[in-house]
Amino acid sequence: MKTTTSWAAARGLGTLAAALPALAVLGVLGALVGCSVQSSPERITTTPSAVTPSAPPTGTSTVPPTPAVDVPQVDADISATQPAATIPPVRVRVADLGIDMPITSLGLAPDGTMGLDPNPAVAAWYQHGPAPSWGRGATVIAAHVDSLVYDIGPFAKLATAAVGQEVVLTTAEGLGHRYLIDSVQLIDKAAVPWDAIFDRTGTARLTLVTCGGEFDYDTLHYLGSVIVTATPVE
Amino acid sequence: MSKTLAFGIAAGALVAVAIAAPASAADGAKLSVLHGIPGVTVDVYVNNALTLDNFEPGTLAGPLDLPAGTYTVAITAADAADASAPVIPAVDLPLEAGKNYTAAAHLTEAGQPTASLFTNDIQTLNAGEGRLTVRHAAAAPAVDVLAGGTAVITNLTNPTEQILTLPAGTVSAAVAATGTTQPVIGPADVTVAEGVNTIVYAWGSLADGNLALAVQTIDGLHSNPSSIPAGEAGLVATNQPMDQTMLWMAGLATLMLGGTVITLTVLRRRGEAQLALDRASGTATDR
Repeated sequence: MKTTTSWAAARGLGTLAAALPALAVLGVLGALVGCSVQSSPERITTTPSAVTPSAPPTGTSTVPPTPAVDVPQVDADISATQPAATIPPVRVRVADLGIDMPITSLGLAPDGTMGLDPNPAVAAWYQHGPAPSWGRGATVIAAHVDSLVYDIGPFAKLATAAVGQEVVLTTAEGLGHRYLIDSVQLIDKAAVPWDAIFDRTGTARLTLVTCGGEFDYDTLHYLGSVIVTATPVE
Repeated sequence: MSKTLAFGIAAGALVAVAIAAPASAADGAKLSVLHGIPGVTVDVYVNNALTLDNFEPGTLAGPLDLPAGTYTVAITAADAADASAPVIPAVDLPLEAGKNYTAAAHLTEAGQPTASLFTNDIQTLNAGEGRLTVRHAAAAPAVDVLAGGTAVITNLTNPTEQILTLPAGTVSAAVAATGTTQPVIGPADVTVAEGVNTIVYAWGSLADGNLALAVQTIDGLHSNPSSIPAGEAGLVATNQPMDQTMLWMAGLATLMLGGTVITLTVLRRRGEAQLALDRASGTATDR
């Protein structure tokens, strides 16, 4: 192997040069490694055992060792490291609940909460978090349960969802991703673990969120969140 | 910030490794290793244990979870029998708990092999933002980084870095000698993902014509929405007062007639206003 013998040559020269002043060693190795490995292939004809007094015993097996731990190695070239584009979900359907809504992609609202479409009949996908194409983490879809302008939205029915019902998420390329509901919860908003709701790790899953429970007529906010989780159908 | 290891006669990749001893995330350090010296394949030993076998140029290894401490790293020829004959003297890497490092074996500006230990910025990012770290690890003079033809980083020298916080997206980046706009690398599209530190290394040698870009990403630096306030009318509340309930029911009836809740509310308020006027003028009767 070209690179292997190149290094052997470098090592041999380094050993021979050990008695020389350090600067000389630096110069020799610098030249070898920096340039000569590529420009002087003829050096490669030297074998390790011939030039390396300190080489391992040659009378025994020279099978190289194997690493004690398996360290992941990846090609770091820019062409190999660009992530695939995230494909946004564009429609959510829960046939059992009569839900069939378009989805818009949104980030944060100005107050740091998740951005939502003002129309309860349009769901929002948290665009900075996972999508079905990620293959991991929670895809979060949320919609207002009601609105002073638009009235009650389809996600009001989430409160009556049942485990086992099917959710279909359609992504922008036209693929339908099927999920089965595995939990339906009404949680006091202050107790909702939002970082866990927006978790980007772990197995792929779908989380549908809206509001519910009691309403604070002073602040015009619900006190609870309806959280439905669903897992992909293989 | 980068700390250049005094490698003396450095040549080859620098690496480290976890030798069993699992570290908890709280008190451990993370270490990645980039091989940025063109043309040579090496083996890497950490504390005398073979850790990276046949480590190729342009390859990134890790991250390794290591207990905080100092690790002795030796670089040998590929397929050496052990660490007894390193091609460079063993070096010690001090790693602090809670930090994230990348050790990069690369060329100096003058083309000498060396190694630098970079500390990666893992501070939390605002939602919607990504971090772009650019590191000069190439045998080349100072450079500018151009995005869309405009210099966004200037006078970056080997072996230093500059960091930008950007809206998440894709940047068309090119590298040019500082003060110029003629690219020596790129332009190339670099994805700066949300909540991720995207670290771009310029490596290789300008004189040898093998300059290249390597990319390392550190994710999980995002921040999450603080809540989801998904309702504002109380129309499905479980604690609706009688007045509210009646209003809602009336609203539904109005909807059936083609009206809206708003219409009803306006009408109702108009009625109340009329009542107030009536009272003010003394014409109101008890209702």
